[in-house]
Amino acid sequence: MAIEVRSRIDDVRWPRGVRLPVVLTFEHQSGEGAPLFPGDRPNYMVGGALQYGARRGIWNILELLDKYQIKATFFVCGTTAEKYPDAVQAARKSGHEIAGMSYSFDRVRTASVERERSIVRQSAQVLEGITGSRIQGWRCPDYRISPQTLDILAEEGFTWDSSLLNDDLPYFFQCGARRLLEIPFTTSTADKTFIGYPYPQRGGPDGLANVWNNEFEVLYGESRRSPRFLILSLQTWATGRPAPLRILRQFLDRLAGHEEFWFARCSDISKRWLEHGTNQAS
Amino acid sequence: MWKEQHPSQPVRWPQGVRLPVIVSVHHQSEEATCPFPDGESDPFDYSERQYGARRGAWRLLEILDKHAVRGTWLICGATLEKYPEVSRAVKKAGHAIAGHTYAHEMMCNLPPHTELDLIKKTVSVFEDLLGEHIQGWRTCFASHDTIDLILEHSDFAWDGSMWNDDLPYIIEGHGRQVLEIPFANYSDAALSVEITSPSFPPTRYSTWQSNTPDFMFRALKSAFDALYERGVDEAAMMPLVVHDFITGRPSRAKVLDDFIAYAKQFEGVVFTSHDQLASWCRNLYTS
Repeated sequence: MAIEVRSRIDDVRWPRGVRLPVVLTFEHQSGEGAPLFPGDRPNYMVGGALQYGARRGIWNILELLDKYQIKATFFVCGTTAEKYPDAVQAARKSGHEIAGMSYSFDRVRTASVERERSIVRQSAQVLEGITGSRIQGWRCPDYRISPQTLDILAEEGFTWDSSLLNDDLPYFFQCGARRLLEIPFTTSTADKTFIGYPYPQRGGPDGLANVWNNEFEVLYGESRRSPRFLILSLQTWATGRPAPLRILRQFLDRLAGHEEFWFARCSDISKRWLEHGTNQAS
Repeated sequence: MWKEQHPSQPVRWPQGVRLPVIVSVHHQSEEATCPFPDGESDPFDYSERQYGARRGAWRLLEILDKHAVRGTWLICGATLEKYPEVSRAVKKAGHAIAGHTYAHEMMCNLPPHTELDLIKKTVSVFEDLLGEHIQGWRTCFASHDTIDLILEHSDFAWDGSMWNDDLPYIIEGHGRQVLEIPFANYSDAALSVEITSPSFPPTRYSTWQSNTPDFMFRALKSAFDALYERGVDEAAMMPLVVHDFITGRPSRAKVLDDFIAYAKQFEGVVFTSHDQLASWCRNLYTS
């Protein structure tokens, strides 16, 4: 059973000159996560809003990130990678991190250990087959871990997970003899909250600008006294659309090119934490 | 049985106070996590809410401290047990401390003997772990018995469970009185997020929907502006309710920070606690 390694102080040394790492995470699916209608009839979103991410959204995002030379993390459903391998390969080629997000948006909250392990293995194999490299990290597609998720990930050789939402900084789990770094995120700044299922609602793109700017200002202020990092959870089907993408571009305009903001992939954070973070030894 | 008593003369706050803003910080962290139909708590919701005690409460403490605001922290007994260091810091910072049920039970769904047990249990947790004899109580969704139980079986000076009035009033029964300090529906839980409620088990899909921080700020500002205006001719008060896991998030914490900065520019605005307000009200009902 994974046990959190408790730390009483926030102590990590980011690379010299870096004040606030910025971690962009993109969740990439092509409709597997669309709720089915009663009788398991396909939801209109299967063929619409969510598929947009794989057909167009991810390409739009890759173009933007390339332009700014920013590296991000893409959580990719196995079936999406199988259906649309080109985009995943392009992302890898641009230096982005590819991480796992289940095989087909599988919900594991009540899954057996065997089933969950096979989902993790299958996802890792599919992504390795397409990109040529082994994935190191994971996010549960519905953000709902099972009691054994973290242990399975550690046993399967993963170095980090990003399925929890309960902290401002990464922290370790001790899973048997292994350690797994948890990189918590939040839905309070998530694009899907503002871009919506399936209609723009709750502020739309302007809402994103508002919440990201607030998040940035507060964390930037706090980072003067204590280590912080800014992590955004974005959907290729949401932020990949032109209007929210423009908001992301404006946000990047504000941050990119400044040494004090380090656009890190989750694996960069994980590596840094292993070498310079708290709880290196217990 | 009980009856209400409203002030026999117009309420007057102390000299110089035009609008008290009654600050309630709900420190409940993961206690209200939504269950799945199988009875297990939703890991996603749990994790979102657990942010409250791990980080959110500390950030709120810092903001209140920055503005020298002392308010009321309404704390669940179970939260105090799990994260005593937060409550100790709250007490040390000089905030008033009140009870917010044991584990955020929906009292409206429980029989009176269970509600009473939970009240007593919570009171003793505060005494044991914090050395604090709580004077006030806010139920999460009051039952038909809440008021009777508080009157008959507690010595609380005030209750803050109701949303039904602009100003405090007295509730009298079982040989004693308790001051009701009602709150309002512009809490952050209403303005900032749409949370799944325990009475509506979560669907398999996230229902964590948020309004923008700007929306929350504008709603607080419009409530404040209206109440400040009203405060010229008659007593008014503004209940301000924030939760550790909602407003404790950086982007929403800025709303609280900005709102306090905005409101405190106005003459006669005082941020205060329920205990303080209760002491102001003590003389209102004597005749």
